[in-house]
Amino acid sequence: MPTFAKSPAARAMPHRQLAAGPIVWIGIIAVTCLLLVLFQYVLWLIVPVMIAIVAYYILSPLVDVGVRRGLTRARAVIIVTILLTLFLILLGLIFAPKVSATIDNLPQTISEYTHTANTLFANAQRTLSKKAPMLVSAPVAANTSVLSAPANGQPAPTTAPAAPGEIVTNVADLQARYSGDVLMEAARWVPSLLLVPCITYFLLLDGPRFKRFIVQAIPNAFFEKTLYLFYRVEDQLRRYFQGLMALTFLDALCLGIGLWIFGLHEPFLLAAIAAVMAWVPYLGSICGGLLVVLVAAHDFPDPRYAWLPYEVVFLFIGVRMLDDFIFLPLTVGRSLHVHPLVTMLMFLLGGAVAGIAGLLLVMPVLGVVMVAGQIIGELLTDERILARHRHAQYLRRKRARVDLFDGADADVGL
Amino acid sequence: MLFGLPQTTSPRLQLLKNVVLFKDLSMRELAMVNSMMHERRYIADEVIFDQGEEGQGLFLVLSGRVKITLPAHVDQVLIELGPGAFFGEVALLDSSIRTAQARALEDSQIVALFRTEFYSLLDTHSAIASRISFQLAKVLAARLRQTVVNAARIQHHEAA
Repeated sequence: MPTFAKSPAARAMPHRQLAAGPIVWIGIIAVTCLLLVLFQYVLWLIVPVMIAIVAYYILSPLVDVGVRRGLTRARAVIIVTILLTLFLILLGLIFAPKVSATIDNLPQTISEYTHTANTLFANAQRTLSKKAPMLVSAPVAANTSVLSAPANGQPAPTTAPAAPGEIVTNVADLQARYSGDVLMEAARWVPSLLLVPCITYFLLLDGPRFKRFIVQAIPNAFFEKTLYLFYRVEDQLRRYFQGLMALTFLDALCLGIGLWIFGLHEPFLLAAIAAVMAWVPYLGSICGGLLVVLVAAHDFPDPRYAWLPYEVVFLFIGVRMLDDFIFLPLTVGRSLHVHPLVTMLMFLLGGAVAGIAGLLLVMPVLGVVMVAGQIIGELLTDERILARHRHAQYLRRKRARVDLFDGADADVGL
Repeated sequence: MLFGLPQTTSPRLQLLKNVVLFKDLSMRELAMVNSMMHERRYIADEVIFDQGEEGQGLFLVLSGRVKITLPAHVDQVLIELGPGAFFGEVALLDSSIRTAQARALEDSQIVALFRTEFYSLLDTHSAIASRISFQLAKVLAARLRQTVVNAARIQHHEAA
C-alpha cells in the first residue's frame, strides 16, 4: 500500500489517538449530517472550495520547494500559479483538437453508442431467454418509460410499449427535452468553477496568515490545545486528499491493466475517467462501469467478441470489490482513522441525507468534524482548562472594575 | 504584500535578536522565524501552562515577567524569567508533558513557537532550524551540567 510522506504536522504530533466517547460520536455524526444538509444549498460554493483545497494540497509542496530555494512565499506562489496556468494551457492545446472533434461528432457518437447499448441489451435478453426463459417474460416498456419521463415530475406521456431490446426509443426527443436543462445547469456551474484558481491562489498565499488571524481570537487557556486542533484538522484533510489520490491511482491502474489485457482502445484513459467518476460512490461507480462496458461493446462489435462486455463487467466488479473492501478502508478510511464499517455506513447515511452531494462530501466533512469534535470534547471535559479560563476572565473583570468600587474586591459575577 | 520584503527594524525583531536561541540568525532569517510565532498577552497571575499538560512548543518573554513553579509548592518559585528569556523549550523537540507550571507575574507579552511550525522550518529552511537546534542543545547541555553540579554539591553537604 502507498505510504504517505509525513507532513511536519504529522511528525510533530503525538501518535496517541484522541478518545471519543459515544456521546461525542453521536454529536459528530449529527453535526456531519446537519452540515451535509446545509451544504446542499450552497453547493455552488462548497464544490469550488473543495476543488481549491485539493489543488492547495497538491500545489503546496511546489510552493515549499520555491521557499526552500530562497524565494519569498508570495513569489513562490506567483511562480507556481504561472506554471500551473501554462501547464493547463498546454493541456488545452494538446487536447482541444480531440475534444473539438468529439463535440462536432457528438450527435453521431451518441447515436452510435445508443445503438451499441440497444444491441447489447437485445443480445443480453436473447441470451437470458435461452438460458433462463422464466426470467424474461414481461415486455420492456417499463424501462423506456423511466428514461422518457420528464425531469419536472409530470406523469410520463403515454406511448406505445417499445419493442424488446429498445432501451432508448428516441434520442433526438431526449436531446430536445433535456439539452436546455443541461446547458442551464452547466452555465450555473461555470462561474463557480472560475472561483477555483482564485481561491487556490489565496489559500497558497495567505493560508498560514489566515490561520494565525483565527488563532488570535482564541482565549489563552485554550490556545495550545486549539492550535493542536488546527494542525490535526489540516493534517487530516491533507491525508484524506492524499488517500483519495492514491485510491484513484490504484483504481485506474488495476482497471487499466485489465482493460489493456482485453485489448480496449486507450485503456488507461478510460480507467482514469471511471476512477474519477467513482469519487461519487455507488452512482459514480455504476456510471463509470456503464461507460466502460459501452466502450468495450462499441470497440468490439464483432459477434466473436460478444462475451467481452460481460468480461469487462466482471473485471469492473472485481476492481470495485477490491476498492470497497481493501483499497478504500486502507487509504481514505485509514487516513481518517475511521473504522471501515463506519466509513461504509457514513456513505449510506450521507447519500440518504443529501443525495449525490452527500456521497461526495461525507468523508471530508466527517474527517474535519471528527477531529474537531474529539478535541472540543476534550476541551469541554477538561475541568482544569475551563477553570483557568474562568480565572483569567475573573482577573480581567477585577482589573476592569478596580476603581469602580472603591478598590474593594467586588463580586465580578462568576 | 505581493513581494513581501522582510522587516528589519521591528522592535520585536530587535528583542528576538537578543534571545540566545536566535543569536546566530541574520535579520532576514529572524523575520522568517518571527512570521511563524504566535503572540499572546497574559494578565498578571494568569496561568500560561500547567504541569502535566502536553507541551506544543516553547514560549519567549517579550515583556513582563514569568515565574516557573511546581503546583505542590506554589510559594517556591523555581525561577523568574524576564524579557528575552524562554521556557518550555523541551516541547519543541517532543510531546513530553510539562514538568512545571508557568504563570505571569505581571502583565506579559509572550510569543510561542510551536513544534509543528518548527518541524516545517526543518523542511523548508533546514539551515535556520539547525542553528536554532544547536543553540537549544547548548542551553540544555549547560542546564544539565548545572543540575549535575548542584546534585553533587547537595550530596557533598549531606555526606558532610
